[in-house]
Amino acid sequence: MSGQPQSRGDDRISRRDFLKLLAAAGTVLTFTPFVDWGKFLPNPSGSTTEKSKVQLPDGSQANVKTFKVNHSEAIIYPISDDPALNKEAFRTWQFIRLPVELGGDKNDASAFRVFSMVCLHLWCLWKYWPGEGRKRGECPCHGSMYDPVTGKAFAGPAALQSPPSNILPKLDLEADKDGYLWILPPNWNVNGNGIVGYGRFAA
Amino acid sequence: MAASLHKENSLVRLFRWIYAGVDRTIFMGLKFTFPTRFVSPLGFLGMLTFVLFIILGISGALLMLWYEPILDRAWDSVENINDTIPYGFHLRNIHYHASNAMVMMAILHMYYQYFSGRYKIRNEILWVTGILIGVLTILEAFTGYDIIFSERAELAISIAASLTNSIPILGPDMRDAFFGSGFHDFVLRFYAFHVFFLPIALIGLMVVHFPRFLVFDVPMVMAITGAIMITGGVFPVDMGLKFDPNVPPGITVPEWYLTGLYAFLRSQYDKFVTGVAWPGLFIFTLLIIPFIDKYKKFSWKDRPLITAIGITSIAQIVVTTYWGFYIDPDRTKSLLDRLVIDPIFLYSVMILLVPLSFGFTYLMIKLAKNAEANAKLQPRKKESVITLPEKWIYFVLIALIAFQIYLNISAYYALLNGMKNISLFIIGIIMLVFAGMFHLYRHGRSIANNPPPPSIPQTERIRALQEKKRALLESNNGKPRLEASDNSLHPIKSNGILDKVLNVARKNKNSFEKMWNKD
Repeated sequence: MSGQPQSRGDDRISRRDFLKLLAAAGTVLTFTPFVDWGKFLPNPSGSTTEKSKVQLPDGSQANVKTFKVNHSEAIIYPISDDPALNKEAFRTWQFIRLPVELGGDKNDASAFRVFSMVCLHLWCLWKYWPGEGRKRGECPCHGSMYDPVTGKAFAGPAALQSPPSNILPKLDLEADKDGYLWILPPNWNVNGNGIVGYGRFAA
Repeated sequence: MAASLHKENSLVRLFRWIYAGVDRTIFMGLKFTFPTRFVSPLGFLGMLTFVLFIILGISGALLMLWYEPILDRAWDSVENINDTIPYGFHLRNIHYHASNAMVMMAILHMYYQYFSGRYKIRNEILWVTGILIGVLTILEAFTGYDIIFSERAELAISIAASLTNSIPILGPDMRDAFFGSGFHDFVLRFYAFHVFFLPIALIGLMVVHFPRFLVFDVPMVMAITGAIMITGGVFPVDMGLKFDPNVPPGITVPEWYLTGLYAFLRSQYDKFVTGVAWPGLFIFTLLIIPFIDKYKKFSWKDRPLITAIGITSIAQIVVTTYWGFYIDPDRTKSLLDRLVIDPIFLYSVMILLVPLSFGFTYLMIKLAKNAEANAKLQPRKKESVITLPEKWIYFVLIALIAFQIYLNISAYYALLNGMKNISLFIIGIIMLVFAGMFHLYRHGRSIANNPPPPSIPQTERIRALQEKKRALLESNNGKPRLEASDNSLHPIKSNGILDKVLNVARKNKNSFEKMWNKD
């Protein structure tokens, strides 16, 4: 203790202070394993290490040979056994086959895009409009518009947001030898696939 | 009555035993005052806020029996409560309107303490905990209206979560940790916050916040409860539209205590600055204001700078609250054009309000000081007192009870006929009538305890005194020989009534002054 006179006038630590330090270190170490318990809070259901089918609303798996050019569908990812969870906006993705001029006629995964449908502005669900002169993602709420190739907002309030909140989270696709499309395991990180409702940095 | 407390029966002994046991608890440290006459509610707005908290706790606990915090069932369960569960409509409306009333009371309470200067000099902890309670109260109200999961609730949740997201560096992790991911988690967690985390934090802070002197004014509490029910009857809260992610929402505006924030968000300026930094700055200023206020005096008139800051904040709150509500009614314009507020316009109005409020404060203080000076010059006016003869007190009490019986029957019939809001309205009136009755009863009791001096000297005793006086005068050949200090013949002073009345009045005055200063 600071109030106690040091016996020899040197700055050696006293026995009492040493014991106190030991007690403090013990306390810290006792609770250290519980730091990891912070993982109790976030929802782990989104992380997976396996690739999964691109399941269209009719239940079939999307195929590069059959899916129409300049067309889009809302898909669910990750699909749950619970129908209530499948209605979740955060599991809703826009599966787009690009128009011809943007490379949609190629018969491989590069003709497709999957972006989170949750608008980065205030989380309404935007969708892709294939009509002539539009060919872009539009949010019905406040008019944010998204580029279907990159997922970047180019108009409306979402476009005014600073990165990463101006680029939609995406899912990476892979086509097998039969042309069926698979979703690769995502990395939910702003530098990876992005965070739903928050955004992604341009790769 | 049979259960007289003057007789020592076993029930009375039980009560005494319990009371003696309670003596060992902290509750005996609190001084509860039940005013014996009408006092201004400004001094006990905090107590009224607490009463509303209790009302919300009870009605909310009952709603918990039927509410389901599940993504696709939340709205339907609220609809079930509203439409089919007996008295569900009543409870939901009481819960909703009491929440608005609680926020309103908390704000009024805060501003009263602010302008009366009671928030400083050893009351800083009360003030700081009070501000935290206020913030949590708004969060509590906010999470409450979100878990209905209507369209408006979904937008509110979106805004809340994306504001959390917008916090630099930690934001996304905080959102993930506190709200989970996706609306399913949001609804469930907002519910958990609403019914447990926030109330428990509120109760903990309230324990610190309670001053030692408390005023519990039964008529005012009943009147507030009645007002809530009447509001629920006249403006029953609607269900909103069930949220469907595929249907674009219409224009919805948040609850009134958040439209100020909403106005800033609508300026389209950076989300973090408008939605987190501005309100954070406001709350921070409120937290530190008692430490900035270095005036030695308490009255708002003697603290011009602090008063001006308070007036500015009120002006800005009022303007932004209204602005948040206002949406361009021109439907030919695009949604975005109608919603977006020009930030330059908004911020210049905010800045313009500062000199205007300072000028207004200066004017008010000048006027108040002038009025004070004038009042000192002029003789004090007598307070006008309504005195109701004892007989009439009984008549009015009986009439009010009869009116209550009538109201009870009509409320019951309204309920039987499915007119839920009318029955809620009438129950509100019953509460108001009870408030009036209690006030009258209290008034009658205080008259009985401190009878006013007899104004008309017609009693036998006084007539006898007058006889005696006349006889004395006559014996002195018409010359009064009485000294001023001799009170024996004065009709009022003689039996000490006046002294008694004066003493009681003085005592009351002292105790009330004490109460005001400590509350």
